[in-house]
Amino acid sequence: MSFLLPCPHCGPRPVDEFAYFGEVTRRPKASPTLRELTDYVYFRDNVAGPQREWWQHRDGCGEWFLAERDTRTNDVLSVSLPGPSRPE
Amino acid sequence: MSALDFLSPSRSAPETLASPLARALAGAPEGVRDLSLDGKVEVRGDLGRVELEAGDELVRLTPGRGLLLTENTLEAIDGLRENGLLAYDMTGALAGLAFEGETLLRRLTDLDPGALPTAGGFARVSAVVVRDDGARFRAYFAQELGHYVAEVVLDLLAGLDNA
Amino acid sequence: MRLPPQPGELIDRSETLRFRLGESELEGFRGDTIGSALFANGRRVFSRSFKYHRPRGLLCCSGHCPNCMMTVDGVPNVRVCVEPLREGAVVTPQNVVGRLDMDFLSVVDKVGGPFTPVGFYYRTMIRPRRMWPLYERFLRGVAGLGRLDPHAGHSRRYDVEHRHARVLVVGGGQAGRAAALAAATAGPGVVLVDEGSRLCGHDLPGVEELALATALGIWEGNLVPVDCGTVLYRYRAERIVVATGAVEQPLVFPGNDLAGVMLPEGARRLARDFSLQPGSRAVVVAADEHGLESADVLRESGVAVPRVVDLREGGHELEAHGRRGQVRRVSVGGDSVDCDLLVVSGGLQPAYALLAEAGARVEYDESRGIFVPTELPDGIEAVGSVTGEGLERIVAAPAYEGRGKCFVCVCEDVTTKDVKRAISEGFDSIELAKRYTTVTMGPCQGKLCQLPSIRLYAKERQVYEASIGSTTARPPWAPVELGLLAGRHLEPTRRTSIHFRHEELGARMMWAGPWKRPYAYGEKPEGEVHAVHDSLGVIDVSTLGKLLVEGPEAADLLERLYPNRFADLKPGRIRYAVLTSDGGRIMDDGTVARLADDLYYVTTTSTGADAVTAWFEWWNAVWGYDAEIVNVTGALAALNLAGPLAREALQRLTEADLGPDAFRYLDAKHVDVAGVPCLALRIGFVGELGYELHFPSAAGEYLWDRLVAEGARPFGLEPQRVLRLEKGHVIVGQDTDSESNLLSSGMSWLPKMDKDDFVGKFALEHFAEREERERLVGFTMEENVVPPEGAQIVVDGWPSGRVTSARRSEQVGAVIGLAWLPPDRAEAGTRVEIRVDRRLLGARVTHGSFYDPAGERMRA
Repeated sequence: MSFLLPCPHCGPRPVDEFAYFGEVTRRPKASPTLRELTDYVYFRDNVAGPQREWWQHRDGCGEWFLAERDTRTNDVLSVSLPGPSRPE
Repeated sequence: MSALDFLSPSRSAPETLASPLARALAGAPEGVRDLSLDGKVEVRGDLGRVELEAGDELVRLTPGRGLLLTENTLEAIDGLRENGLLAYDMTGALAGLAFEGETLLRRLTDLDPGALPTAGGFARVSAVVVRDDGARFRAYFAQELGHYVAEVVLDLLAGLDNA
Repeated sequence: MRLPPQPGELIDRSETLRFRLGESELEGFRGDTIGSALFANGRRVFSRSFKYHRPRGLLCCSGHCPNCMMTVDGVPNVRVCVEPLREGAVVTPQNVVGRLDMDFLSVVDKVGGPFTPVGFYYRTMIRPRRMWPLYERFLRGVAGLGRLDPHAGHSRRYDVEHRHARVLVVGGGQAGRAAALAAATAGPGVVLVDEGSRLCGHDLPGVEELALATALGIWEGNLVPVDCGTVLYRYRAERIVVATGAVEQPLVFPGNDLAGVMLPEGARRLARDFSLQPGSRAVVVAADEHGLESADVLRESGVAVPRVVDLREGGHELEAHGRRGQVRRVSVGGDSVDCDLLVVSGGLQPAYALLAEAGARVEYDESRGIFVPTELPDGIEAVGSVTGEGLERIVAAPAYEGRGKCFVCVCEDVTTKDVKRAISEGFDSIELAKRYTTVTMGPCQGKLCQLPSIRLYAKERQVYEASIGSTTARPPWAPVELGLLAGRHLEPTRRTSIHFRHEELGARMMWAGPWKRPYAYGEKPEGEVHAVHDSLGVIDVSTLGKLLVEGPEAADLLERLYPNRFADLKPGRIRYAVLTSDGGRIMDDGTVARLADDLYYVTTTSTGADAVTAWFEWWNAVWGYDAEIVNVTGALAALNLAGPLAREALQRLTEADLGPDAFRYLDAKHVDVAGVPCLALRIGFVGELGYELHFPSAAGEYLWDRLVAEGARPFGLEPQRVLRLEKGHVIVGQDTDSESNLLSSGMSWLPKMDKDDFVGKFALEHFAEREERERLVGFTMEENVVPPEGAQIVVDGWPSGRVTSARRSEQVGAVIGLAWLPPDRAEAGTRVEIRVDRRLLGARVTHGSFYDPAGERMRA
């Protein structure tokens, strides 16, 4: 695996400079059923195609950002900085 | 006395301090210099509000995070905090090395020499790499990895000498 | 026979080099390859084939085929046809029992045939199955390539260098050179690499040229590693131009593996590059103009060419006959011609491997009878014959019938009979047939046999080549030394700023995650345990993860991350903290100290620091609280001073008031110790009165020395483990695993379930409603035997739990430990059985601490 990932601050860098934190998930708001909680904790969509996921530029600027990457080809379609998603 | 004094080597008498690279660099060739005890400050907040003194150098990592290289860490930290930024004395957190040679640089990292200063992979660890001029470079990296990085640099130099 | 000097020859006749083949001393010229020098000395048989031990001679002279593989200076599998000759080289043949000219194992060729058809190890050697190890050893002895001498002391330095190029051109032939020059007109950053030496002496303006530089493949992100012998250049290129040309293909006919059967390039290189007459009397059989030109090259070097056959004029019979493995006569078109050299050409097949690896499609071109690359991805171009440009249609038969073995793959000794047999056994896809027959799996990796085998396959199955397709191209293009891929041994090692004091004291250093830490300082860790209980010990805990969390919403962030409550933690106080995942599982533990209203100081386990920092940062990226998280693990050294004498010893080094009321258990205070500014934390991991000092790492050795001078005895990880076990303290990752939840680990007092939300709350609510499956408790052994980690707890004959930690404690006077037990066996005093070395040993469940249960000593 040697594709280049474009860090929003530093530009394209080899993927081993980054840490991967998995596909974007939606945390249940309050008192989920056991099934909802299990889905959230253990199951993932794992699509063969464009996937929204978390990355950190661990060896570089340290920033956390989102990428949309095609899991079949490793083409990175877009990257963006997260906006906070706190309720209230 | 601030709550973060326990972070600052500057608050400790000079005779109590030692560089993490001292042993690895004993007998190192000229051209390799130890920068571990130079002043470094981690800055968080709007970097546009940073006021630099003469001799200071700010490496911008993101719009909200930078590494300030300065001789007067304590004054710098006070000034930054007065300006509404957060600042932490990283002098002891980061070891540093100055070295020469673009070939040596390219055996340590695949960062583009033309795109410095920046942070990236360096000898398999993270480092902030700065270019001084021509083929002179500086790198700052975690002090706990300092001895390892210094050994790598010296080993690669030996390989270039024998070529 | 060496020809008179001619322009363009690569040899320098003024310099003679001496070398050895086996016992014979031989000579060659500077500029010769080992292969050409051997040929000049009359050698015609260079190796014995993989399975049948048939004599093989020079075929391609281009480093593609296996025929010239020999061991040179102890290095096996060297293709001597491209290996430069050097003074003193020692060359030995491979895969031979006896001599190259008389290999005893050639009996396999004469009589072994019926026993060794394709896939024979599934038939001849399948029963009895337990004999397979013996058969395998036998097979390894009689078949194969070169051998590695385990006693040959070999040492070579390999380096890896990263390079960038605007345009990287692979292949220094005509098309490649033209592409490089064109790219150079647009600016700098043009690099041209070629695997051979033909770039030597050329000088293209504006182009950086690398000769003897093999591009191993194309990886994602336009990464092209280039093998230059002892340096690997990792090129990242904006554009890659592939000009790797096309590879001459052999013909498939009886006797096609005899020594003296050559491809046109083989004959051309011997004649033109090394001024050697490739034979004295030759027949040329070619399917294209390129092959027919060999006849001219041969005649120019004085070789008689009595017969030239142009296969474009019609199909013919073709059979080569030989004696002692060397060609003597060729039957073609009804005639029989005496000769000692047969030059054959089955056309040219584009060398598309790099393009296929980059993502190009490979298609069969009906009009030319070859596979060509198409649909190149962005950033990749192809020029020259690799695209199929300029190549003629192949008209040769897929195979000519006759008596004698007819080789499709000379690397693996696969004959046409083997391919037909595989088809008849049902291996009807090319990928299956390849794996069953092993065709294309040898040293040439399909360069000489992919196309011929597919054409044969198509003919035998009566289908079109296009429907068969080609097998997957994989790197490396040419064999590469593992040492080169490894480069220098880079093993990032974390050392504390006090590391060398431990080494100087003779400590046994061990890996603890990415850190080096002292296991113990002497042969008997018990002595260090005693020191902590009876007087004073000091341990280097600089490896602890340390985080500052600062900002107006720092408290809110911590409240939401941890099950603990922190909003009510007063400045100057510490709380033990456990981090849980959304699944309610224990991730890490440590302490949280409040230094000011908006400032918290968090410690984590040593091996968990990176993960916890990432966890904090990621959650804050999601939630966006106004708080900064700063990893100060390396900024600070940390020493834990513990023992009944801790207060007095420390008081001698500081003016701060360390009295029990001024500095209480779980207080955090800023104190100056011997002139070093410290944050002192009164916590009790090892169960005695103790102060953990956090201070600038640069002062590590200094403060260590001062504390040791005050009588503190250094203790290592092993004594620390005993001490904490005596207190029943859990080590996350040792006594808990990724599925352990907070409630069953004896920490049900910890989560504040009245909080609105924290990571793990939902799961803990569910766990609280369910029956517990297991519980973590302490135990005391009846006998003086230490059960190993993982030892089974046995209840009514069933495995029902496991031991996570156990040690002999001299202080407690027994073997103690922690274990997971079923809840109905977890009450204090219950007797359980533990399986150790097939015996069932008794133990009693113990709750709380084994030593100083009320914690009076650490709260002194």
